[in-house]
Amino acid sequence: MSPRLRLPGLGNSTLLTVSLVLLAAVIFLADTVTNLEIAVAVFYVAIVLISVRYLDRSRVVMVASGCMALTLLSFFLTRAGSMSAGVVNCAISLAAIGVTAYLALRTAAAEATAREARTQLAHITRVTVLGELTASIAHELNQPLAAIVINGNAALRWLAGQPANLDEAGKAAERIVRDANRASALIARLRASTKRTSAKSIWSDVNQMVEDTLTLVQSETSRNHVSLRTELAGDLPQVEVDAVQIQQVILNLIVNALEAVSGSDAQARDVIVVTGLGRSNEVVVTVSDSGRGLNGVQMDQIFDAFYTTKPDGLGMGLAISRSIVESHGGRIWAEPGVPGGATFAFSLPAGNKGNVMLSSTRKPNR
Amino acid sequence: MTEPRQIVFVIDDDPAIREALDSLLRSVGLDVRCFGSVKEFIAAPRPDIPSCLVLDVRLPGKSGMDFHKEIAQSEAALPVIMMTGHGDIPMSVQAMKTGAIDFLAKPFREQDLLDAIEAALEKDRLIRKQTAELTILRDRLATLNEGERNVVARVVKGLLNKQIAGELGVSEITVKVRRAQAMRKMQANSLAELIRMAAQLGL
Repeated sequence: MSPRLRLPGLGNSTLLTVSLVLLAAVIFLADTVTNLEIAVAVFYVAIVLISVRYLDRSRVVMVASGCMALTLLSFFLTRAGSMSAGVVNCAISLAAIGVTAYLALRTAAAEATAREARTQLAHITRVTVLGELTASIAHELNQPLAAIVINGNAALRWLAGQPANLDEAGKAAERIVRDANRASALIARLRASTKRTSAKSIWSDVNQMVEDTLTLVQSETSRNHVSLRTELAGDLPQVEVDAVQIQQVILNLIVNALEAVSGSDAQARDVIVVTGLGRSNEVVVTVSDSGRGLNGVQMDQIFDAFYTTKPDGLGMGLAISRSIVESHGGRIWAEPGVPGGATFAFSLPAGNKGNVMLSSTRKPNR
Repeated sequence: MTEPRQIVFVIDDDPAIREALDSLLRSVGLDVRCFGSVKEFIAAPRPDIPSCLVLDVRLPGKSGMDFHKEIAQSEAALPVIMMTGHGDIPMSVQAMKTGAIDFLAKPFREQDLLDAIEAALEKDRLIRKQTAELTILRDRLATLNEGERNVVARVVKGLLNKQIAGELGVSEITVKVRRAQAMRKMQANSLAELIRMAAQLGL
């Protein structure tokens, strides 16, 4: 069982810097050794375009300025060729680098705004829907409950009368039973609508689910300069789950971790997702972060609905995650991270070997 | 069945709540009429006896809140007790400002409702008594002729017979006669009573 180490996204920023510098050096050399009629310096736009994807605004401006400086430098160092063609080529290269940097930055800014707006919209929709849902559920349930209370009081008063009116008291009691059933039918209907009625349990690979989820948060990690690593155990048994729901849980834990590290001032912004096999042969997924940790958080309440540690949190994410994991026969828990931060983990019962072999024909081979 | 002395109206769209309230109120000897909407309530005949209205906020058609405002502005102001399944503070403040006797959030303590109903019926009884008295006084006032009215208007201001005679340009005897006539027609046994009646009539 050898853990594979993977570095997606921005985890390799030094690697990126090194390759960009190398590329710039190659272009600079080519530009200097060739004669003035050949405009190699135009290729600097490639460096600008790459840097826009990974660096922030001011750094991109720095990169573009550097490229322009190199263009000028090699113009003066180049000895061979026609001077007038050299001046024109140099001017074209400088203009190309400048215009590319400007347009790329504008596009990146627009994309960021759009992403921001989308996130906000999603949050607002979620809050509104949930708020309305709760209000209407509360009202729907309150009516039969109020009727039960009133009928109960009426029955007591009919019985307390001199003489007691047993007929009326009995009718009130019958209405109590009817209204209690009505309330309970309402709850059953509610539960059915939120339960995994359409859930399809299929044999799935937890590692695959983790990797699929990571693609969803890629832009989030690079935007917040978070290093997101995975240590996925090879050779894991499959689990019989509704993959979409379990992916929701994984996504929720990762997003929580990303929020925790983005909010901290700490230098290290690390989130690590680990998969492995538990002591009693269950599959365990662990999400650890180097964020602000769980100091002062009520550990026994953190999975309760409407309990939240975030200023604008709903307190539903972990509650929903728990109900999903438990409905799959698993367990979810939280503990303080080592050395700091927090660790959230959940386990899922693993399938036996026979099932894995049966299902192996259905799943795509990786 | 004997004619009821007083009556409680209930408007709630939930039949279960209506049945329960009907039973509860009858168990303490109150006469009840239940309606599922404001429209039904308006269409039904209302006996001219002390009454009050227990009104749900959320109703099909016209909302309880709007109907309460209408009642409060109308001539025959009926005391109202509001109830709701999802009460919040602004709503209850609004209801009390409009003049509701009470604002109850479901489920409520039945004693709170019964107390509120008692207070509402008492208030309606008082309003009815005052209205009836005023009608009688107005009828009596209508029987006074202009001379007697002029005298009464000055008597209640505290003028002496002599002063009234001077102002009206009649003899003191005439003032005394008109004053006695007015007291008799208004059925006032003393000057103090006459002054109280004048105040009620807004003279």
